[in-house]
Amino acid sequence: MMNFSAKRMTQIVCIFLFTVLVLLCHSSTFAATKSSSQSNKGDRVGETAVAEKVDQLIEAELRKSKVEPAKLANDEDFLRRVTFDLAGRKPSSSEVILFGLDSNPDKRKTVIDELLKSEDYAVNWARYWRDVIYLRATDMRARINEAEFEEWMTTQFKENKSWDQIATDLLTATGDVRENGNTALIFAHEGDPAELAAETSRIFLGIQIQCANCHDHPTDKWKRNSFHELAAFFPRVRVRPVRDAMPRTFEVVSMDQGNQVAQRMQMLQDPTMLFKAFDRNRDGKLTEEEVQRTRMARNFEQLVSRADKNGDKALTAEEIKSIPVPDNARRFNTEYHMPDLMDPTAAGTVVHPVLFVGTKAPEGMKDLERRETLSKFLTAKSNPWFARAIVNRLWAEMLGEGFYMPIDDIGPERSAVYPEVLEALADGFTANGYDLKWLCRTIANTRAYQRVVQTKIEGQPHIPFAAQSPTRLRGDQIFTAITQVFGVDDLQSNRGGGDRRYRGNRTARGQFSSLFTFDPSTAQEEITGDVPQALFMMNSSAINGLLGTNGNTKLAQIAREFPKNEDAIPELYLLTLSREPSKAEMKICQEYIQATDNRNEALEDLMWSLVNSSEFITKR
Amino acid sequence: MSLFHHQQVQTHRQGFSRRSFLRNVSTGALAAGTLSFQDLMSVSAEELRQQGRAMILLWMAGGPSQFETFDPKPKSSSAGDKKAIQTAVSGIEISEDWKNTAKVMQDVAVIRSMTNKEGNHQRASYQMHTGYIPSGSVKHPSLGSNIAREIGNRELDIPTIVSVGATDGAGFLGVDYEPFNVNNPGNIPNNVAATVPTQRYQKRLDLLGRLDSEFASRGGEVVVKNHSKIYNKASSLVQSPQTKVFDLSQESESLRQQYGDNNFGKGCLLARRLVEAGSTFIEVRSNGWDNHANISEVITPNSQQVDAGMAALIADLKQRGMLERTLVVWMGEFGRTPKINARAGRDHYPRVFSAALAGGGVKGGQVIGASTADGSAVQDRPVTTTDLFCSICQSLKVDPKKENMSPLGRPMKIVDGGTVVTELFS
Repeated sequence: MMNFSAKRMTQIVCIFLFTVLVLLCHSSTFAATKSSSQSNKGDRVGETAVAEKVDQLIEAELRKSKVEPAKLANDEDFLRRVTFDLAGRKPSSSEVILFGLDSNPDKRKTVIDELLKSEDYAVNWARYWRDVIYLRATDMRARINEAEFEEWMTTQFKENKSWDQIATDLLTATGDVRENGNTALIFAHEGDPAELAAETSRIFLGIQIQCANCHDHPTDKWKRNSFHELAAFFPRVRVRPVRDAMPRTFEVVSMDQGNQVAQRMQMLQDPTMLFKAFDRNRDGKLTEEEVQRTRMARNFEQLVSRADKNGDKALTAEEIKSIPVPDNARRFNTEYHMPDLMDPTAAGTVVHPVLFVGTKAPEGMKDLERRETLSKFLTAKSNPWFARAIVNRLWAEMLGEGFYMPIDDIGPERSAVYPEVLEALADGFTANGYDLKWLCRTIANTRAYQRVVQTKIEGQPHIPFAAQSPTRLRGDQIFTAITQVFGVDDLQSNRGGGDRRYRGNRTARGQFSSLFTFDPSTAQEEITGDVPQALFMMNSSAINGLLGTNGNTKLAQIAREFPKNEDAIPELYLLTLSREPSKAEMKICQEYIQATDNRNEALEDLMWSLVNSSEFITKR
Repeated sequence: MSLFHHQQVQTHRQGFSRRSFLRNVSTGALAAGTLSFQDLMSVSAEELRQQGRAMILLWMAGGPSQFETFDPKPKSSSAGDKKAIQTAVSGIEISEDWKNTAKVMQDVAVIRSMTNKEGNHQRASYQMHTGYIPSGSVKHPSLGSNIAREIGNRELDIPTIVSVGATDGAGFLGVDYEPFNVNNPGNIPNNVAATVPTQRYQKRLDLLGRLDSEFASRGGEVVVKNHSKIYNKASSLVQSPQTKVFDLSQESESLRQQYGDNNFGKGCLLARRLVEAGSTFIEVRSNGWDNHANISEVITPNSQQVDAGMAALIADLKQRGMLERTLVVWMGEFGRTPKINARAGRDHYPRVFSAALAGGGVKGGQVIGASTADGSAVQDRPVTTTDLFCSICQSLKVDPKKENMSPLGRPMKIVDGGTVVTELFS
């Protein structure tokens, strides 16, 4: 049982009373609105029922393999895990204590609901998706609207916009990238049809169709055509700089007409119209005199210098046709051309939009019609991959491994573990109108999610979901945890340099995140951290500046307020790792402090070690 | 003085490790007569680690134009605005902004017939770093990580693989071969200096280790193992006297001037110091080669910077007797179009481009392969990415056909296919 110092005890009682009051107020208002919101739900499936079904399926499977599932995690571990997963932060010391003291049997369910209601939930997942999109950006300039995307995505999560709505908004975005955060995906790939096809398929369907870019898919049933037909939804998307804008910005626009350059090029390739309009004496030659004061006048001299072969200063139709098409002519195409692999410089063949798991779109549609049609195809209930991809992704993020690994390669020829569990979740998610909070809530309420962590033992067959696996926290989550530990809003940023991957990142969070970030689509085994991260945690002035026992740091407060080591040590553990120390840990720490002449110095060392521990950066 | 000291430390460490390695072998397997072929191979691999072979990759991010660098076409429609200049080797001409490199041309081999299919920056960079086309399912290790793994000195405190500027990493080879990133060459990298005295720092590390073992017993075993591996590596760097290698102020002012007072020049000088101190693979990056517009204006300052750094590096390595064992490679992800576009720039062009190599047993003063008169295609002796990679392996005495196991359980060769460009070494 927990043992508290007198000082802690008073705090606990006060907070406890206060929380009870707040809860009472809440529950009465909540009760009033509850019935009305529930009646709208219609045939929505309850998360409790689905969570139970998921557990039964998993446990039945484990029984068949004669594997005993791990026991449920204790309150401390559960609370830390779920707070990081849903709200991207660690629980505070008081939250840990109160949760432990709470005798309500439904308290886990309650805390899940509370976390989903918090603003932190929206911010946490917005940052997650920022990393999903931008870490694969093919155009690094896209980072200028990262903040706008994060803000936009936060709003979507706060309002609990459904996943199909979010997907549609991302795919149909237009306008200034600094004003429209939903342009992220398109801007990240400069509106390039092939890249957009690859990422749309990977992110929203979990299918790596880009392997079919150059050849039929090596391991899936897709043909090379399928990839290019998907790309054909995007040929009219353009990303262009906004002229004279300060700060520099870009806009996503539709190019439905082709533009003047395209029209001019067409005119040159087929000059009949030009001759009808300007060749007044019908001698089959255009002269400077004839085109005077027409729209051809300005460029006529240039045309002559490029095309006039016989030096008569006049142009015949043949001469005009001989003007070569510029290499970048592809930019002016309004239809998608599948490149010819044998001749990469050729224009390629026109391909019309078809979604490989859906249906064919009408030909010749306008840009926005194309993108809206694609969104409809993607998010249709008849397309099972849309729900499966996101369910697999969120499950893997919360449990450390997915039904399919890697999480964004779930095509039809891949095999899933526990496929019927994935189906149950995907069906429930679809029936609930692609409600992301419903999905998070359902997963968090499963026993599978709430089990203790166990190390995968090398050389032994690994049974997924028999226990939780420890996973690396994302950069933003670690940053937030550090600010919480030290009780500050922000860390000191490094003014001298940018960071490892991108320049011009000036905020401490930005710098930290680019040092600690990893693509959230990467498998956990591949995320192991690196030396520069360790160096930052050990030696950076940002962290060491807050480690002192002088002044009014968090550590100084603890040192002052808890004069006994047996009280100060648990406080430090609660603060950093959101749990009480074990007996063995207590002993190690007490011995350490006793062996050091200077208590404050010893406490600094202890805090340093806890912040640098592997547990601090791991979700357990 | 300090340099001498470094080498002393170096030799001592190497001598020690080698002895202990041989001791382990002899008391164990050798004595029992069970030393397998594999073990014998690793004995010779261990010898190889002592030879101090190294590579410095000068990476031109964005795709440098071959026309404005090593394959000028002054008389063709693709010429652009730059003239070609004579070099120290008669008959070899390069673009006018590369005056210093022209002077060391006797040590440089230019390949003018590099050819590839990938015209997207990220994908092409990936391919030109790893030798593989990007794939969703496996993250290939960069060639530098492979080389560091094969011939890197395992006993080194400082990183065996360093990149000045962010680059592709070790992929499935894991954190041991992840390049150490230096953003501001010339200064001790961020956070390398400890904030407390050595003794206390050591005490902290001990405490950390003890506390972590508690977490290991509660299900975090693998996490703790990885974490302590990284912390060991990081703390041996922090505590090493060798971190002085990052401090360029130990070099003479005139030499620093020669390399150039900019990040690329400093990166090159740092690369030489790192090789001297035992590192195996260093990448020095230069940005701004994606010249879609106004190429002839924009490319000059960039070229001049790289020209100075590269030429100084080659000359310096040679003067110190290090060039024979240090391969210097200049390249980018692809070349640029023969035609100047409407914005007076050149666009991406993987079909034919150039690369330059010096040192590491490469015979300088020669041009290998050729592009057509207008530079639109390979005229003679196409060299693919894998051909180039096999050649790099040859120079460093790394077996390109060696297989490493990828996480999906599929063995992958260091270089898949390709043949050595033998002219480089003849």
